[in-house]
Amino acid sequence: MNPSNRNYSFWSFIILLLVSSSTLLAQTAVPAVEQGGDLGKVFHIGAMLFFLFVFVILLTLIAYHNRTDEEIPSIMKAWFWISGMLNKSTPIEKENEIILNHDYDGIKELDNLLPPWWKYLFYATIVFSAIYIYNYHISNVWALSEGEYNEEVRVANQQLNDLAASGAFINEKTVVALKDPASIATGKEIFTRNCTSCHGANAQGIIGPNLTDDYWINGGGIKNVFRTISNGVLDKGMISWKGQLKSSEIQLVASYVLSLKGSKPQNPKAPQGEIWVEPVVSDSLKAEGNSPKAL
Amino acid sequence: MQLETFRYDNTIVKKFVIATMVWSIVGMLVGLIIALQIFIPELNFGIPYTTFSRLRPLHTNAVIFAFIGNGIFMGFYYSIQRLCKARIFSDLLSNIHFWGWQFIIVCAAITLPLGITTGKEYAELEWPIDILITLIWVVFAIQLVGTLIKRREKHMYVTIWFFIATVVTVAVLHIVNSIELPVSFTKSYPVYAGVQDALVQWWYGHNAVAFFLTTPYLGLMYYFLPKAANRPVYSYRLSIIHFWSLIFLYIWAGPHHLLYSALPDWAQSLGTVFSIMLIAPSWGGMINGLLTLRGAWDKVREDVVLKFMVVAITAYGMATFEGPMLSLKNVNALAHFTDWIIAHVHVGALGWNGFLTFGILYWLVPRMWNTQIYSKRLANFHFWTGFLGIAFYAASMYWSGVTQSLMWKQFTPEGTLQYPIFLDTVLQLIPMYIIRAIGGALFLTGTIVSVYNLYKTAKSGTFIREEEAQAAPLLKEVTKAKGHSWIESRPIQFLLVSTVAILIGGVVEMIPTFLVKTNIPTIAAVKPYTPLELQGRDVYIAQGCVSCHSQMVRPFRSEVQRYGEYAKAGEFVYDHPFLWGSKRTGPDLLREGGKYPNSWHFNHMQAPTTMSPGSIMPPFAWLMEDNLDISSTPDKIIAMRKLGVPYPDGFEQKSISVLEAQADSIVVDLKKSNITIDKNKQIIALIAYLQRLGRDIKTAQPQNGK
Repeated sequence: MNPSNRNYSFWSFIILLLVSSSTLLAQTAVPAVEQGGDLGKVFHIGAMLFFLFVFVILLTLIAYHNRTDEEIPSIMKAWFWISGMLNKSTPIEKENEIILNHDYDGIKELDNLLPPWWKYLFYATIVFSAIYIYNYHISNVWALSEGEYNEEVRVANQQLNDLAASGAFINEKTVVALKDPASIATGKEIFTRNCTSCHGANAQGIIGPNLTDDYWINGGGIKNVFRTISNGVLDKGMISWKGQLKSSEIQLVASYVLSLKGSKPQNPKAPQGEIWVEPVVSDSLKAEGNSPKAL
Repeated sequence: MQLETFRYDNTIVKKFVIATMVWSIVGMLVGLIIALQIFIPELNFGIPYTTFSRLRPLHTNAVIFAFIGNGIFMGFYYSIQRLCKARIFSDLLSNIHFWGWQFIIVCAAITLPLGITTGKEYAELEWPIDILITLIWVVFAIQLVGTLIKRREKHMYVTIWFFIATVVTVAVLHIVNSIELPVSFTKSYPVYAGVQDALVQWWYGHNAVAFFLTTPYLGLMYYFLPKAANRPVYSYRLSIIHFWSLIFLYIWAGPHHLLYSALPDWAQSLGTVFSIMLIAPSWGGMINGLLTLRGAWDKVREDVVLKFMVVAITAYGMATFEGPMLSLKNVNALAHFTDWIIAHVHVGALGWNGFLTFGILYWLVPRMWNTQIYSKRLANFHFWTGFLGIAFYAASMYWSGVTQSLMWKQFTPEGTLQYPIFLDTVLQLIPMYIIRAIGGALFLTGTIVSVYNLYKTAKSGTFIREEEAQAAPLLKEVTKAKGHSWIESRPIQFLLVSTVAILIGGVVEMIPTFLVKTNIPTIAAVKPYTPLELQGRDVYIAQGCVSCHSQMVRPFRSEVQRYGEYAKAGEFVYDHPFLWGSKRTGPDLLREGGKYPNSWHFNHMQAPTTMSPGSIMPPFAWLMEDNLDISSTPDKIIAMRKLGVPYPDGFEQKSISVLEAQADSIVVDLKKSNITIDKNKQIIALIAYLQRLGRDIKTAQPQNGK
């Protein structure tokens, strides 16, 4: 077989692989980048690193395939020289001065010095270990797992409180019910992903109560429903969602739930709680005044 | 001096050569199957025995103990005879060793798909097989020591030092980690519980890497590399320093698998610092290997054997640098439970062990069959497909691991999780999983080609059954040797000193964890499992759930928010074995109890995608059909009591009725959701167990998540 042909097929194989993999990679990267934020950056960096990695492999392959000369290229010579210096190796020409008098099934042993960089690396790791143990367990200047966790939570709570104080989030006092179809549709999506296992696909109630009738255990209306979803009712099995859903998402799902009133799903769970009557100034009137886009 | 004539036995080497090649294909094929199953769950064809969670331990066991294990013995039987200038100690024991080891592998290949497992990683095999392993390992030890005693070479070469350390340490690790109380022929419970079990298990697990995948292979490198390169070993003093520091330091590093877990902090810190101190000793092996090639680099380009070996040693250097980096707490916080670890172990297994084995095979087979390699082109093809396979595998898994971990930890400004639904972080990785499978397929292709090539090589030559050699007998020592050369000529002393070296770390870490009460503060609310939950736990173990689900919430804000209160040491005191897991392909289950109704679990097990659209978990529909063996309950209660679980006296007699009452209540509850199921089915026990998880410790602010 013609060697150039062989190379050709080898390269087309590699290129095929790379093309197929980069298409796959693009799929991963795109949605993440859309989400923006730090994660988007990380994806970019990851993608760049990956392609760099592939590039290095390609270069290696090229270097390997293009080497037809019998001579060692000067760059390799330079490398051998540097590594010889770093390692304090005895040059190959003088090898017989340090060869040991043993022969194990034809294997001989030299007795080169320990490479200095290696020796100091070893010392450095020992020093590192001593400092590590001292700081964690003797002087206690570094926090152990529990302390580290408490600090992480403290900082996060501080930031959240500051943000909340600035009025950045919707809360149970400011929330209004949304009526536009787009918000209701998004609310439905959130409901389907999170709530159906207990409340049923059509909110007819399974473990949790029926959400389509006029009866409410913890009060109806957008403010009460928002609060119930947000804080949960722990003794009744309703979990708190504020760690999982943003306040705007809780508003959306609460609005969706309220939109189901009177939808009469199949197999409804019997009413629980009391009939809820909207106060005189209803949320819906207020909501009409506010554009949902303002949120 | 009178020369003695003797013969090296090649037939035992040939047997292990064949076994190595056969198991390499089996192990890697199973690996490829599970790599595909992770994005095509239907590839289990609805059969329990071929489901990911049962094949995953089969893959790890087949690669480690079958492929690499046989590779070790292949290299051992070839090199030990030549390094000792003596025939192997006993031909009969050679054959017992060979067939015994293959029998163990076959037992593993049968029992693991059947769900007969201890649930402890890389130590899944049940107690009868554990005993067999011990016996065969003793045979291996006798072969080593016996051959050393009748050797004609006064000094033991560095390869032999590594063999001695391997034989001693693997025996200690295997026995200590496998102390278990049998309940029946196919079921046992480890004597250790919770944190202690975790410490012992990862002391074992980590040092299985050290003394099964590293030291014997370093031994092989020291023999086959200078042989293949025809160059003297670079530095004898480096061999000494890196050998002793490696075996002494390695044994301490196990707790780095348990960083941020409920293991006491001091033990975690020891795991970290000893891992960092391992960089130089590990690299000592790499340097001695690579620098041995000084003056032979022109050969590396031509000789496929050396190419394989150079990549193997480089992969070893990369993996042994990465390992200590992963032991740093901040890196570990990111990488643990993700695919990063999968990438790390495959650089080791495919690069270091795989490529060194292939290098040895390409050197050994032509010599033993007195011929030339059948096709250099095919061997080169193997090299490049294998190399690319590793590259694709590692790159995709690194990226996958980092991606998922960052998604787990990402918060919104409002303090909610950016990706509260675990599945979203998994589905993001599917393209990476496809690239990984391509990498695996490439590597397997290369392996298949090598088997063909080596088969044709052997066919083209004639097998040399015995090789004749001559050497003078060993005389009694008269001169006084000093320093290291003293111990090099004394196998028994060498064995004893290395035993002491490898015992220290384990003793220092384990004894306080077992004896000092403050290391595992008790929690009064933590109660033993009910009989049904205990049975459910065994269902969980048999199905291999631990392959994909951890039970260890780490003390990070993101994990507490996602799963609930982080894990406390006192919660696991009745867990024989611990089930913390090492990989989160699915979410953590430590706080699963009460998060979903029984009906959710039922539907989810029957068809996961109905409850989590897009889920890559395979259906476990057979749990709805298979009956629970209720009759085993009293025996299990008795066994647990012997291990210290405080079931009241006589409880075993009423355990079955207690179990049935709880099963009834779950059946009744399911009925409310229009699910009709018999109370004897395994699913009922599994639901009972899942609903119990994490319920014992009440927390101030219960959390939730998916």
